[in-house]
Parts: sequence; structure tokens; C-alpha cells
Amino acid sequence: MEPAVSLRDLVKTFGPHRAVDGISLEVTRGLIFGLIGPNGAGKTTTIRMILDIIRPDSGEVRVLGLPAGGARDKVGYLPEERGLYRKTKVLEMLEFQGAIKGASLAAARREAAGWLDRIGLGEWKDRKVEDLSKGMQQKVQFVGAVMGKPELLILDEPFAGLDPVNQNLFKDVMLDLNRAGATIVFSTHQMETAERLCREIALINRGRIVLGGPLAAVKSRFGKNSVLVEYDGDGDFLRSLPGVARVDDYGGYREVRLRDGADPQALLRALVERVAVRRFEIVEPTLHNIFIEQVGEKPADA
Amino acid sequence: MHKLLMVIRREYLDRIRKKSFWLGTLLFPLLMLGLIFFQLLLVDVEAGKLRKIALVDATGRLLDAFQAKLSEEKLKDGKPAFRVEPVQVREDAEAARRSLEPRVNSGELFGVITVGNDLDAAGNYRFYARSVGNLAVQRTLQRALRDAVVGLRLERSNLILEREKLEKLLSPIELESFQVAAGGQAKKKGFDEAYFGTFAFVMILYMALLLYGVAVMRGILEEKSNRIMEVLLGSLSPDQLMTGKILGIGLVGLTQMFIYAATAGLVRLYIAASPMAGDWSGVLDAVSPLKMLYFLVFFLLGYFLYTSLFAAVGAVCNSEQEAQNLQTPVVMCLVVPMVATFFFVANPDSTAAVVVSLIPLFTPMVMFMRICVLTPPFWQIALSIVLMLAANYLFFKGAGRIFRIGVLMYGKRPTIPEILRWTRG
Repeated sequence: MEPAVSLRDLVKTFGPHRAVDGISLEVTRGLIFGLIGPNGAGKTTTIRMILDIIRPDSGEVRVLGLPAGGARDKVGYLPEERGLYRKTKVLEMLEFQGAIKGASLAAARREAAGWLDRIGLGEWKDRKVEDLSKGMQQKVQFVGAVMGKPELLILDEPFAGLDPVNQNLFKDVMLDLNRAGATIVFSTHQMETAERLCREIALINRGRIVLGGPLAAVKSRFGKNSVLVEYDGDGDFLRSLPGVARVDDYGGYREVRLRDGADPQALLRALVERVAVRRFEIVEPTLHNIFIEQVGEKPADA
Repeated sequence: MHKLLMVIRREYLDRIRKKSFWLGTLLFPLLMLGLIFFQLLLVDVEAGKLRKIALVDATGRLLDAFQAKLSEEKLKDGKPAFRVEPVQVREDAEAARRSLEPRVNSGELFGVITVGNDLDAAGNYRFYARSVGNLAVQRTLQRALRDAVVGLRLERSNLILEREKLEKLLSPIELESFQVAAGGQAKKKGFDEAYFGTFAFVMILYMALLLYGVAVMRGILEEKSNRIMEVLLGSLSPDQLMTGKILGIGLVGLTQMFIYAATAGLVRLYIAASPMAGDWSGVLDAVSPLKMLYFLVFFLLGYFLYTSLFAAVGAVCNSEQEAQNLQTPVVMCLVVPMVATFFFVANPDSTAAVVVSLIPLFTPMVMFMRICVLTPPFWQIALSIVLMLAANYLFFKGAGRIFRIGVLMYGKRPTIPEILRWTRG
């Protein structure tokens, strides 16, 4: 079976700005795939080209085995900037979104009513969109994107601006759809979310993929040379210890990245001499740290 | 096709369900009808009253002739419409007139006519009344006074004629107008009627093109500012979205036109069946089925042409204020033929009128006006329609390209040269 998404040498420029600069990637069917990268890296432009909303200057897009735009009805899309018709009734809004995916009005209506019950808005179906709270509107927008049982679901920053309850709801629905066979591609700059949900990732910076592949492989490439430490006492000396490449202070604990070949045990000994250690754990680097290492030191517009 | 239908359906239902639509749609013809009937009613009430006119006549010789002439004017019930009250002028005619003012103000006297002794002096004949807006009454008074004065002039020139002979000599002639149609049958038609009927229709055409064009533009702006545009573009192609919007709103326009036409049709039937049919032949002619058909054709052609332009404006702007500036040239394109019809209505066959009526942006109003007041050669009508179809195709294509790029652009508005460049892509 052809991959869910296959991009080859995609290039898109806006005036003098190269928003996407030769991106190639494949998303195997059935995966949850994360497009991560800083703001302005080219994630949204890439997603828009996958959906045939804008056309690449060069390169090839294939979606579910078809050229760009050919599989539109099997692809659900939640853009980063999303809205609803404010004066329309909730059920009609979703019914319309289902119908323009190719469903009959009756089928779209049934599906919309089912979803509204599931997300707890069954009683709001005949109210106007503008009467809904922001959180409710976010739910309706999300359901709109998954109307019509898409084989591929593309979500641009799906969790941005959500409260934890809605974040959980979105995540649950995504996992359910994925279990039912849908491929999911989503972009985010929240590394924790990507780490929890994705099997594969592509890290995009300045229009190029700087890192990509299965999450486990990406992380192991950076070796098991990170240590989480928690201790009482002042720990600024940490940075000056030999073998320490960088320290990220999260308040509660610190993540220490060691230089290649440095011995974690030596770090432990050095710590024990000075402070009371409560936690010492050798881990793979978090995606967050990899992200910062790959992107943070070289700002996008450097 | 299914998707396009769904977009049309949404646009149509969304608008047709609004109270404001029905308010505007039903209120407009009701208002027009109301105005017409109110006017008829007013004329009727006014016409049913006896009017007392005071004649302050310095010559002292006009009363009989004036009175005789006015006595021919009868009310509906056969009683005289005017009564003339002679006023003795001693030395000061002005003082005499002023002394009558209270009676005019109280409404007891309809008006006062003063005549000085020098029949040829400027300002010798004056009419004083509370309301001088009733042209029909003034015309009647003027005719009666003129006949009386002419009689007196003849008398002073020693030409004394019998009243009957004088009346015969003074009887007015009427110049009747006929419109020569291609079919060979000349139709009797007054200039006023041709003028009035034509303007009413050109006005409606102008309003409809402007209103629905702006509705399309605002619809697109709203979808942009609602951030729903990109959600829709995940399911629809930009062409489907734009076409659906234009067709949906066009259907709303047709619905409204249909309601107007039905009202006009009812009024037409009512008038045709009433004894007034003869007086209103101009109105009957103005809403003839053939003219309605032409109206529909030019409305539709103009609608698609102008909505393409308005859609492009909506697509490249981010707010109504921005759109206000950019829509000005488009609105000007509508105003030009509006104004042009004023100039061309008197000379609908002039070269300038023919040329302007063949320019697609101006065709709907100018060609329709020409069809109303004269019957242009059929090849001109056909050519204008062919040109409009071609322009529609080009404009629609260009607008589609602008739309595709414009709808996802937020931030700085592109310049007009930039926009024009997109249409080539």
C-alpha cells in the first residue's frame, strides 16, 4: 500500500522568502506522525501543500496514493486558524462540513448528531454557534474536521489554546480514530505532546527537515547521555562540572546533558559530595532538549 | 457537483432565513404600492373639494371670461370645481391682496390671483396660495386666465370676437408621440412614461447589481475574518467555494426579483382590468413580458460580471474598511452607466449610446435603457449579449485566480498591479 503522505523535494517560496526548501518525507499508513518545529519553520505551508490549498513551486505531493487534491474527501483537516459560521446552528454547521466531504445530507446529519452526543453537546445542537463558549466551539471545530471518517487526519497545532479537559478529549478521539485505522499527521511545537503521541516525527526548521524518523530511533541517535537530577541546595555549580554540556533547570528538577564519553557516575559522585541527592536518573534526552539543541541555538532568522 | 450544490444550499438558506431579507423583500413593493395608492387617494380627496379663488383684477374686465372658462371644470359629482370671487380694487391692489391673506391661511380661500393693468408687463400675473405644489390646478388656472387675457388684448386692439369664435381660435393642440418599433406597429407613448418607466427599471438594475455584488464581497470577507475559509478549503476547491457563493446569492437575488415581478404582475392585472387602463397604458407597457425577459437577461449577465469583481475585492481584503477603498472603482463602473442613461435617454440611437451600450461593464443598464425607449437593431442586442458572455468568462476566470491566492492572505493588502499579475497565473 502506498504511504498516506509522500512528499518529494517540495519547494515553496513567497517573494524572496523560501518557506519550504526541499522537503521530502513519507508517512506510513496507520501512524501518528508529528511535524515539529519552531514558529515560521514551514509546517503550515507544508500542510497546506499536502491539502492542495496552495500549490508547490516544484516537487511532488501524493496523498493516499493520489496526486494532491485527488483524495480530498478522505482527508480531514483542522487548520491552525479555524472558525465556524457564527450565525449557524451547531448541527447545521457540522452537517454542512460533512456534506462538503461528499456525504448525503441525511448521513451527515446522523453523523453530526452522534458526535455532538459523544462530546457532550447534544443539547446544544439547535443553538447558534455564537451562543457556545470558546471551549465548546473548539470541540465543534474538531468534530468538523473528523466528519466523514477520514482515512487521513491532518491537524495543524490541534492543542494550541485548549484547556486540559479538551486536550484530553482531542487526544482520546485521535487515538480512537487511529485505532480504527486512520493515519494522523499533526504539527505542534509542544514537544511533550509530540513525545507522548507520535510514533514518528519530522523536525522542520527553516523550511528543511533537520531530523526525522521513528521517535525511538531519533532519540537513541542522541544516546543515553542525559541525567535527571533532583536535590536540595544550591546547584549552580552543576554547570561548571567537567563533562556537563548543558543544564536545563525546570524548577523541580534539572536535566543535565553530558558531553560525549563523559561518565554519569562521576557526575553522581561530584553531586553527592556537595548536596543531598533525591533523584538521579539516566535517561534518553527529551524531545524538548533535542529540539532546543537542533533549533534553539540557531534562531530561525539568524 | 454535490459539493457545489451544498455550498449553494447553505448560502441560499442562510440568507433567505434572515428576517431582514423578508423585511426588505416584502417592504419594498408594499412601500411602492402604498405610495402609489396614497397618491391616488390624495388626488381623489383633493379633487373632491370646491376651490374658492379670489381674483384681484386691476383691469376690471377679466372676471366674466375667467369665470366662464373655469366653470367648465367639474367635480366628480358634477358640481363646479371652482368658484371665483371678484375683489374690488380701489387704489392699492397689493393692500387688497394682503387683506385676503387671513382667509387664505384659514383655508377658506384656495388662492388669490392678482392681475395688474399692464397686460404685457413682466410679473403682471400672480398666484398666491398656501400650497403651490398642485401643478394640475395651477395649469387649469393659468389656461383660464390666459384665455381671458388674450380676449382682453384682442379687445384692446379693437378686435372684438364672439366668445365661441375666440375659444375655437384659442383651442390648444396636442402633440402625440409614437414609438416606431421594429415590428412595424407604432405605439402611442408619452415621453414622460418612457422616461419614468425606464428610470425605474435602470434604478432597480443598479441597486440589485450593487446590493448583491456587495453581499458576495461581504460574505467572502466574513469567511476570511471568521477564519473559516481554510476549514472550507480542506474540503472544497476555491473554485467550488466562489462559484457556490455567487450562485447561492444569485438565487437569493432571483427570489427577490421574482417577488417584485409577481407584485408588478398583480398590479398590471389590476390596472388592466380597471377602467383606468387607458390612462396607464405607459405603465402597462413598462412591465410587458418581453421587457421583463430582457431585464432578467441583463440582470443575470450583469450579476455574474459584477459579482466576479466584488468577489475578487473581497478575497484580497481583510476588513470592510479596506474593501471600501478597493471597491470604489467597481462601484464607479456601476455609476457610470447609471449617469450615462440620463444623457442617452434623449438620444438612445446616438453613436456614443451605441458604443457605450456594447461595453460589457455598461451593457446591462445602457442597453436595457435603449431597449426600453427605442428598439435597437437586433444585431446590437445580440452582439452586446455575446460580448457580455465573453467578458463574464474572462472575469470569472480572473476572479477565480485572485480568489485562490487572496483568500489565504492575511496582513498587508496586495497592490492592484500585484493583483492583476495573479490573474495571469
